[in-house]
Amino acid sequence: MSSNKPNMTPENASPQYIPGSAGGENEKKPGVRISSGNRADNSTPGSKILGEPIMEVRGLNLSYSGKQALKNINIAFLKNRITALIGPSGCGKSTLLRCLNRMNDLVDGVEITGETLFGGRNIYQPFIHVSELRKTVGMVFQKSNPFPKSIFENVAYGPRIHGVKNQSDLGGLVERSLKAAALWEEVRDRLHDSALGLSGGQQQRLCIARALAVEPEVLLMDEPCSALDPIATAKIEDLMGDLKDKYTIIIVTHNMQQAARVSDFTGFMLMGELVEFGVTTKLFQNPDDKRTIDYITGRFG
Amino acid sequence: MSQISEAPGNHGSLENDNAGGEGSGPLLPPPSVINLTEKSLAIRLRRDALARHTVTFGGMAVICSILAILFVIVAEVYPLFKKPTSRHLLAFNLPKDAGKPLATAVDEYRETAVIFTTSGALMADLKKGTIIKRASIPGIGGTSVVSASSSGKDSFILGLANGRAVTVRAQFNVSYPQDGQRKVEPEIDAGEPVVVDESGAPLNLTHSVEGERGLVIVAATGPDELTLLTVKKSKSLVDDGKTQTVATRLSIPIEGVISELELDSRGEEALAGTSKGEVVRLNIGDDGSLQIAEMIKAVSSQNARITVLGNLLGDRTLIVGDSNGGVSSWQIVKDKSNQLRLAKIHDFTPHSRAVTAFSPSLRNKGFVTADESGEVFVRYGTSGETLLRADSAQGPVVTLTMAPKSDGIVCVDEKGSLHHIEVVNPHPEITIATLFKKMWYEGYEKPEYVWQSTGGTDDFEPKLSLVPLIFGTLKGTLYAMLFAIPLSLLAALYTSQFMHPSVRSFVKPAVEVMAALPSVVLGFIAGLWLAPIMEKATPGFFLLPIVAPAMILAAAFAWKTLAPLRLRSRIMSGMEIVILVPTLIAAGILSFWMGGLLEWSFLGGDYRQWVREAMGLTYDQRNSLVVGLAMGFAVIPIIFTITEDSLANIPPHLRAGSLALGATPWQTAIRVILPAASPGIFSAIMIGFGRAVGETMIVLMATGNTPVMDWSVFNGFRALSANIAVELPEAPEQGTLYRVLFLAALLLFMMTFFVNTLAEIVRLRLRKRYSSL
Ligand SMILES: Nc1ncnc2c1ncn2[C@@H]1O[C@H](COP(=O)(O)OP(=O)(O)OP(=O)(O)O)[C@@H](O)[C@H]1O
Ligand SMILES: [Mg+2]
Repeated sequence: MSSNKPNMTPENASPQYIPGSAGGENEKKPGVRISSGNRADNSTPGSKILGEPIMEVRGLNLSYSGKQALKNINIAFLKNRITALIGPSGCGKSTLLRCLNRMNDLVDGVEITGETLFGGRNIYQPFIHVSELRKTVGMVFQKSNPFPKSIFENVAYGPRIHGVKNQSDLGGLVERSLKAAALWEEVRDRLHDSALGLSGGQQQRLCIARALAVEPEVLLMDEPCSALDPIATAKIEDLMGDLKDKYTIIIVTHNMQQAARVSDFTGFMLMGELVEFGVTTKLFQNPDDKRTIDYITGRFG
Repeated sequence: MSQISEAPGNHGSLENDNAGGEGSGPLLPPPSVINLTEKSLAIRLRRDALARHTVTFGGMAVICSILAILFVIVAEVYPLFKKPTSRHLLAFNLPKDAGKPLATAVDEYRETAVIFTTSGALMADLKKGTIIKRASIPGIGGTSVVSASSSGKDSFILGLANGRAVTVRAQFNVSYPQDGQRKVEPEIDAGEPVVVDESGAPLNLTHSVEGERGLVIVAATGPDELTLLTVKKSKSLVDDGKTQTVATRLSIPIEGVISELELDSRGEEALAGTSKGEVVRLNIGDDGSLQIAEMIKAVSSQNARITVLGNLLGDRTLIVGDSNGGVSSWQIVKDKSNQLRLAKIHDFTPHSRAVTAFSPSLRNKGFVTADESGEVFVRYGTSGETLLRADSAQGPVVTLTMAPKSDGIVCVDEKGSLHHIEVVNPHPEITIATLFKKMWYEGYEKPEYVWQSTGGTDDFEPKLSLVPLIFGTLKGTLYAMLFAIPLSLLAALYTSQFMHPSVRSFVKPAVEVMAALPSVVLGFIAGLWLAPIMEKATPGFFLLPIVAPAMILAAAFAWKTLAPLRLRSRIMSGMEIVILVPTLIAAGILSFWMGGLLEWSFLGGDYRQWVREAMGLTYDQRNSLVVGLAMGFAVIPIIFTITEDSLANIPPHLRAGSLALGATPWQTAIRVILPAASPGIFSAIMIGFGRAVGETMIVLMATGNTPVMDWSVFNGFRALSANIAVELPEAPEQGTLYRVLFLAALLLFMMTFFVNTLAEIVRLRLRKRYSSL
């Protein structure tokens, strides 16, 4: 949005300016404060603005056929930052992630209240074009899901459906995306082989390349490394560091080391609630909530 | 078992809890619930083996029974293509003093023969090879016989040395004197000699028939002169028994001399062959006049003389044999200027020497010819094929007779030895060519594919081309698939990808119930209800594919722009069917109304007439359109269900992957789901195709079953399957038609087998491609 704000590194952030926090006690919704940077709060001297939020969730409740899965979630995701979501299985991380590009629409019987803002607009408004939203907010799934097509066709699929027809444009885009996903060197000689012949790690990077090929602004990653060996995981983690310059990444992970390694911000969720959200180093070294301490010290989960 | 029944009891469960939980917990490990005893393992293995064997047995039984069916069919078909065989049963010498043999008659059972010779008749026993008795021709006095020619079954005309001719008949009296032993007693019976040549010269060439016109005799009374004699017994009461004779002489302008004569069995046409290889066709008038209709060169080589001229059963095919050994068949066909002319139909495998004798079959269009070297060929007129070279005589054959049942040949060679040859050739009319190639049938103007298995008369030529039936099957299948594939694929796509699950949960079973409709019901409805309606509404039907999509698009647009937002959001996506169904009904009504309008304003009020005049097509009420609809109805549920299943079984993560890239549901369906489901879709189409190919009742009831060959939708057709159903009651067991119907069944079997195998191969290929989904 506005470009006149200084960029702050996460290390400088202080707890008061955590962009968003859980629970009902904080009715002031700090996320709002940050996103609307013109407000008085933010312009006070000395206040440290962490960055420009690209997506914001306000008071989000979600239930699957009456069963509540998300309870009053308030969170903001800063541009060109990596935000990690952690929490025990079934706490609603994937659900929250899917809310951000409306993939929950595919589920029968979902009910959503609250606001999910992207670029200041509620993405659940009826006039929002879902496919346009999903092009801008891309997603990489836990289980790699390449199409049963060639490697080239997999990456070219997105651009094609968005109207790119020129073969050389496509070729360039495919090459760039594969390079960005650190897969190019491995597959350059067999672009027209079936994608299903790649290894698991390669397939996952292919899915990342496929997501990058549509030139999104935000990349949602749902446990992208859960099925991979440490080497492939390391590759993808390196990749995320590289991608940060251009994209905003939101990653769900069970691997706390991973969250600590790669992310700038971390949110801890429990039973549908966002318990704590803040700068990663702060959350891991000095969490506020007892439940967060219990979780990261391995007392449950 | 007992433990399970005890489990609900409170006492038991409490005890268990105690045992596992607190009581003995800390001291002893809890007793394992899973007891892997030797015995239970053995039982499991045995059950596993039993199941395996049962499944194997079931599978093998299915394969074996299919093979058995196939075997039965092939066994019934095989005799059609078995090579005909012959066996030389007997040869014996006729007495030297009995004169030169001229003609032979054989009884139905091939037990006895009557041989007419220059000095009378010999009765021979064909089993023993003996002469039973000798007889003289009654009423001819001292003159000798110089020629003989056949004028139908067992009848002959003998030309005498004194210019007269006499008709004779061989009679075979069959009796069963003692315990079923058959006895055949030959006998001859002669008419009054009539004067043919007033000058009294020997009648070396003569021919006769006896029919409605009385006795008609034609004879060569000079090198280029024909004499026609009609002898009619008057039937009036006054002068009963008096005969009325009309004689005509005609000189024909030929080079060379008359070498052979033939008359048709109605006595309306005479044919003369010349020593220069010409055939002269003459019309015989009602008044006994002779008139040249046509002269034609009938041999291929220059200096061949016509030695054999004869009609096949039914008198519509003429066989011409010449002194070079050539044998050809001819028919009278309309030429370009609408003139009736003899046209050559087939050239048969030639003899190596001059053709000397000919005898037609009395049952079918087969015949035998023999030559100077003693070779005898069995041939068939329709196919133009030479089926068999029979074991034969040693010298030139002078008389040749095909046995009445066409199962044997009796011939006498120049040296006076008689040969009795048995021929096994039960299906002479069937060759690959008659089944699958165009044939020039009698009375047709050009070679054609025709299926017509029976006709009104005995001399009917069976036309057993399977091509129109295969065509019919393919035509019906094509129209059915044309209707069914787009509908069922689109329906499956919509149902699996777009329809709301709650609607889908009743749409799918409903369509599947359609598959349970017996095809006889569908055929019945199509033939009796749909066909008359379609007859009225055809123009509207053709408008429907244009009107319906247009209406749907209009309705969708109206819904998007006009319907209030609140109402729109109330109707969930996937429930469009609520709007679609009324739209479709309206589209149906509209297009039928517009069809009527169209018919009135552009097609002159009656589209059938327009079809006939503008498009040159005939209109049948029970046409391919009706069959296509009815059979499409039978095929749609199959294709729909299998396609829908394979579409719905595409892993959801593929769909999610595509949607997450911003693809619309339609793009996802077309570019990801459809290709990934292609193995299933392909086999769905193939299974539907197989069903349509084999479908019987619908094509039987909803078409006129006329075996015509054209692609017009307004015509009917006859499918292989329907043909079997139609003709089987009329096909005598083991007969040619019976076996040809089995052949049709075999073809059907092979077609479906081929389609299914192809489907399976392609499906496996595709599945391999998409295997690691
Ligand atoms: N499609 C669905 N229909 C109904 N309930 C669902 C659906 N998806 C998730 N849930 C429920 O919502 C809750 C949150 O699920 P979610 O998948 O978001 O958990 P998660 O945090 O991603 O867990 P994990 O770490 O195991 O992936 C769970 O209780 C789950 O059972
Ligand atoms: Mg999850």
